[in-house]
Amino acid sequence: MIELKGVTKRYGTVEAIRDISFTAPKGQIVGLLGQNGAGKTTTLNILTGYMPPTAGQVLVDGMDMLTHARDCKRAIGYLPEKPPLYDEMTVHSYLRFVCELKEVDRKTIPAHVDEVMTICGLQEVAQRLIGHLSKGYRQRVGVAQALCGDPPVLVLDEPTVGLDPRQVVEIRALIKSLGQNHTIIFSSHLLSEIQQLCQRVIILHRGKLIREASMDALTNAGDALMLQASIKGRQQELLPALRSLPCVRRVKPLKQSVPGITEVSIECERNTSPDAQTAIFRLLCAMDAPIMQLRIEHDTLEDAFLRATASE
Amino acid sequence: MLSIWKRELQGYFFTPVGYVFMGVFLTLSSVIFFLTIMQSRSSDLLSFIGTMSYLWMLLCPVLTMRLLAEEKQKRTDQLLLTSPVSLPGIVLGKYLAAVTVMALTVLLTGLFVLIVAIYGQVYSGELVVGYLGFLLQGCAFIAMDLFISGCTSNQVTAVVAAFGANFVLWMLDLIQSAINIDWVNGLLSFFSLYERSEPFLMGQFSFASVGYDISFAAAFILLTIHQMDARRYRGA
Repeated sequence: MIELKGVTKRYGTVEAIRDISFTAPKGQIVGLLGQNGAGKTTTLNILTGYMPPTAGQVLVDGMDMLTHARDCKRAIGYLPEKPPLYDEMTVHSYLRFVCELKEVDRKTIPAHVDEVMTICGLQEVAQRLIGHLSKGYRQRVGVAQALCGDPPVLVLDEPTVGLDPRQVVEIRALIKSLGQNHTIIFSSHLLSEIQQLCQRVIILHRGKLIREASMDALTNAGDALMLQASIKGRQQELLPALRSLPCVRRVKPLKQSVPGITEVSIECERNTSPDAQTAIFRLLCAMDAPIMQLRIEHDTLEDAFLRATASE
Repeated sequence: MLSIWKRELQGYFFTPVGYVFMGVFLTLSSVIFFLTIMQSRSSDLLSFIGTMSYLWMLLCPVLTMRLLAEEKQKRTDQLLLTSPVSLPGIVLGKYLAAVTVMALTVLLTGLFVLIVAIYGQVYSGELVVGYLGFLLQGCAFIAMDLFISGCTSNQVTAVVAAFGANFVLWMLDLIQSAINIDWVNGLLSFFSLYERSEPFLMGQFSFASVGYDISFAAAFILLTIHQMDARRYRGA
């Protein structure tokens, strides 16, 4: 759907991003992750045709942004870092104006504006001046503006920054539901947010793309399976027994919080037969040491991000 | 382009800008009317129009200051430039909105003409030519001031710089009389919008002046478009 090929942007002598290439496939939510100043906003500004790249190419549905700007721009709804709102307009008249800009058929505009306002929960402020709205509502008008004209691609630049926790949850839920029938590219410096919403992650660091992978591949790196278990029994007996299993590589006791319950972190081989969980279950059954809890410990995006940026 | 024009036009009247422009323009022109027509008991509308044309210098920056500077300041240009509207469409829409407010205001000065028509003699031919020159001059000033608004991202800078530029344009006539070099004089009078409007104020239709005013406006509109495009490439 969206493809960047070797995109570079220089502001004078400062190179903001260098040689960035990635694809956002149709119907996926792609997260652009990076620290402040990593080049996220520049990338999105180029992607949406706000500014042309110094070198490289942006393709929307196979069309070049430079030569087919009009068609490309019609396919993208963009919420910049600061929502582009006119304070002196009402929410309703503003959205009408955006629909006209996006070349929505004149007859369908009233219905379309209503639909967009319903999706974003703006009905009750429809006739208020945008300048009088709270930050959360302004952000929602920003999202509504991006939805006008029903573009297949949505580009959202840090959509949850500066909102209160409840609004953050609401906007995330909105993005998630929109993700069902849109291609969404959104940037964030919050790892947890990306982890919650995205199927693909692109990590930018100092203007360069250092990692592009699906969320699963990124957080399940390596061939080790990490388990965490709480077992009823004495640590001195359990640790040697667990270590004797062929599929177990390492066992590390964790801090004990409940007397009589041993907490351990177990690093196992992936893809053994029987699988590690079964082997552990059988062993502990035989020892009459009931498992109170056993869970797979996922590598967090945070770990992946730190690994990726540290190796640079 | 049409949607931009409509929004800007509404913008003038949702904010005080349009009312301030119209109000000040009409107040000042009624003072001029009193001085040139009523007090001297004359029906010489051309001299009334000629004096009114100095108001462009003063008031056009008010119309243009927010058009492009505010978009940049508030980052709303991100909406326009990522929409399927062309850059010329954006600039022209804004320009025409300002021209529309100006033309509406000029239309209201028709009241003065009506008063003269009731109590005196109005020569329709010279009146039409006078007003044509007056409007074209306004269009030229707005184009230049729009360009200046596009050069800055701050409304105050835009209005002060535009006022300065207009003032220099007006002073060309004065500078001319102080310099005795022929080619410099020729050059200065070529660029003087006020000198160009003299035929109109004598009731003569001048193709040269019409052509000059239109190309002056067109040149600044093109410069504005070019300037905004260059800014996109620079990414500033």
